[in-house]
Amino acid sequence: MSTGPRVVGQRLPRLDAPGKVTGTAVYAADFALPGMLHGKVLRSREAHARLLGVDAARARTLPGVRAVITAADVPDVRYGGALKDETVFARDKVRYVGQPVAAVAATTREAAEAALAAIDVAYEPLPAVFDVEAALAPGAPLIHEAWPTYTAIPILHREGNVCNRARIVAGDVERGFVEADRVFEHRFRTGMVHQGYTEPRAAVAVWDTSGQVTVWSNTQLPFEIQNTLAEILALPPSKIRVIVPGIGGGFGGKLRVGVEHFAALLARRAGRPVKIVTTCEEELTAAYPRQSTRVELKTGVTRDGRITAKAGRIWFDTGAFAGSGPGVASVATLVLAGPYRIPNLLIEGYAVYTNKTNCGSFRAPSGPQANFAVESQMDMIADALGLDPLDFRLKNIVREGDEGPTGQVLTAVGLEECLRRAAAAIGWADRRPTADRGKGLACGWWTTTGGSSGVYVKLNPDGTVALNTGAAEIGTAALTGAAQVLAEDLGVDLADISVVSADTFATPFDFGAQGSRTAFAVGNACRAAAADLRRQLCALAAAQWGVAAETLTVRDKHVVGDGKRIALVELARLSQASGGGLIAHGTFIAPPTAYDAKRVEAHVYPAFHSPSFHAHAVDLSVDRETGEVTLHRYVVAQDVGFAMNPTYIEGQIEGGVAQGLGQALSEEIVYEGGRVLNPNLTDYKMPTTLDLPRVESILVEHPSPVGPYGAKGVGEPPNIEPPAAVANAVAAAVGVRVTTLPITAEKVALALSGEATP
Amino acid sequence: MSRLALSLRINGETHEVLTAPHRTLLDVLRDDLGLTGTKENCLEAECGVCTVLLDGRAVNACILLAAQCRGRDIVTIEGLASGGELHPLQRAFVERGAVQCGYCIPGMILSAKAYLEECPEASEDGIREALAGNLCRCTGYQKITEAVATAARELYGGRTTQ
Repeated sequence: MSTGPRVVGQRLPRLDAPGKVTGTAVYAADFALPGMLHGKVLRSREAHARLLGVDAARARTLPGVRAVITAADVPDVRYGGALKDETVFARDKVRYVGQPVAAVAATTREAAEAALAAIDVAYEPLPAVFDVEAALAPGAPLIHEAWPTYTAIPILHREGNVCNRARIVAGDVERGFVEADRVFEHRFRTGMVHQGYTEPRAAVAVWDTSGQVTVWSNTQLPFEIQNTLAEILALPPSKIRVIVPGIGGGFGGKLRVGVEHFAALLARRAGRPVKIVTTCEEELTAAYPRQSTRVELKTGVTRDGRITAKAGRIWFDTGAFAGSGPGVASVATLVLAGPYRIPNLLIEGYAVYTNKTNCGSFRAPSGPQANFAVESQMDMIADALGLDPLDFRLKNIVREGDEGPTGQVLTAVGLEECLRRAAAAIGWADRRPTADRGKGLACGWWTTTGGSSGVYVKLNPDGTVALNTGAAEIGTAALTGAAQVLAEDLGVDLADISVVSADTFATPFDFGAQGSRTAFAVGNACRAAAADLRRQLCALAAAQWGVAAETLTVRDKHVVGDGKRIALVELARLSQASGGGLIAHGTFIAPPTAYDAKRVEAHVYPAFHSPSFHAHAVDLSVDRETGEVTLHRYVVAQDVGFAMNPTYIEGQIEGGVAQGLGQALSEEIVYEGGRVLNPNLTDYKMPTTLDLPRVESILVEHPSPVGPYGAKGVGEPPNIEPPAAVANAVAAAVGVRVTTLPITAEKVALALSGEATP
Repeated sequence: MSRLALSLRINGETHEVLTAPHRTLLDVLRDDLGLTGTKENCLEAECGVCTVLLDGRAVNACILLAAQCRGRDIVTIEGLASGGELHPLQRAFVERGAVQCGYCIPGMILSAKAYLEECPEASEDGIREALAGNLCRCTGYQKITEAVATAARELYGGRTTQ
């Protein structure tokens, strides 16, 4: 008897929802230990200055203060990802307003704040650079004079304030421009934006007498934090336990060490547990926001609308440290090439140091910035050639078996279906239905990040199953998706699965909740573990019955075969009586994606694995007086491979679009002279219930050959296209083209009045 | 430092607390009483994660002094489910897929509860207006709005539109 899937593909409620709606779920910011102290970080008030002295003597004498640490008190270690350029505290100089200079732990938050105020720091200001142009100008001050001495992965191309230049070269771009009938050149800019998670970064650290530290943190990457803390504390990783109790949103902002190291260092000094929670001001001045960018695109096109060549450059203002910059600049080149067949390419991504906060990763890093440029230009070219923007895209998009920009062979390409369905749903045939109202389209592609995942799966005494994974549940329901895979393959219900996650001592390794990979990779590891557990269950039943295990199968909470059946609960009892219970181990590593290595230079991410394809369409109106945009409808058609749980995929799409619309219309961390002008949630304006339209999700399914049940990465893509879709719709509505993000009412109004946009 | 002796009525139960006068209701709930279902974020009444009900109205506990709550009725998220049964709002949030990271959810549910008690004939526009002070970064608010409409139908019947 063959039936369809019972658990995968179903709209089942997530496993952790009851705890979250009753307030019993514990997040890192909620976590507390007896005797716990409160930690605070003193941050630089100068953007670029020699650090003449840090005098903490007075702070140490204040009531309630239990520890004060400065650079003099911590190992002199440079750490980081692809490039190790960071220190715990500023040493010889400070490089941005907000850089940590000292930290304190005290019995109350008030006492800790008083201690910060009692630390005297002497600065000697230095010339500073606040944008990419200034950082790249001849004779610009170097942010890191000693950059050649830093440890970095060898492939990076670095020079002065450039901490990587990644490149794709394909065909002959100059010949491609000669073959073109028209060549279009445009420039774009995008602003710095914050992930906007509602739970601030938080950590609690405590040391035991054996010299082991345990850190409860809301990191997305507990194993990465374990290794980073090992570097910073100069300890083996086996002395560092990182546990993620719960995370109130991450979106890439909680990938790298945030306050964990301060908590650990202060707790060691004080001999007591220390908790640190960031403030809203720290979040908006000293976190890991999305880089601002400038982009130049030059595209050659034939009269009938075929793209012959594209030259593109994107510069990321990565701030005072590299952060994710070298990798983001690499990923950007694939986005800037776009999901189009273009025989001749020269695409460069630069990560550039400035005296601003260190930028990081934010949901689809580089995606919205590069896609905004690519997809705005596609419409600008279509308009100039008198082509319909949808037709122009359909002439150039990649299809099954085509090559990607670095030579990877593309499979499961659902892009045409996405474009056609999004366009149909928005009513594309009527693109300008009334005065000042217009519709815009944008499409793109993205990766399902690789990396390895391991899971243990244990049969509980009552016949239910425990899933033990090193991945953290950051809110996407990815671990519910993985549990659906496990339940499907073990013949049990989703409610029979309980999840234990994200403890570097107790759970198997996982590459982490990043890059749209968790349901994909943990789901695949669950498939492997389920196969192993089924073998063990059948072997145990076979031994009982004296039959060959190959004749038995696991179905509906039983092992069946040879005319007999035995329940999992009975097998659990037998296994505990005879062999220490049943436990299975499953692992997964995404197979490498082949690409043409000759086409890339200094490239950290040369191919998109199990790529997803998507198209967005928006219908909006523009107020000609105020420039204000009103969003009427928003449609997303996304190729998800296989919809593991449609409810939560819609949730990813609705939420990703909301974040993308914030970046499109209202959000920007505004700097002036190295200082953030809007470090609060009144002036950093994220969308509320009143700012967003209904989002209609169309789930397109072109299964990935290596995804669990065909699933592709889902979480990041919905964040990519909203800025471009909005820009194109504004142009359709009122005929003005805004080429910088965010597209504020002020910019639209100025453009409508014929003035240059600010 | 001087301390105030306060008697606070929270989720139907009276708590005696001794606290410095400058401390907020949020401080007392989370740090003194261990009621961490009320969340902490901006501390400037901008994000709404600390929303509680004060005499039935949704307020931000981060800017309310604990001393202002003497003799008033406070409801936190821990006070909603009764006898192991989820409140209809909680159940609708679970069943409609309205929960992602969940950090904003206690505040959302309490803002929704205050709104529905005032306007049982909820409309989508009314729900959106009632929740405009609660930021959510995961969901785009769509399934949250649907969940509140679903609960309104269950609680008050009839005509609520989505």
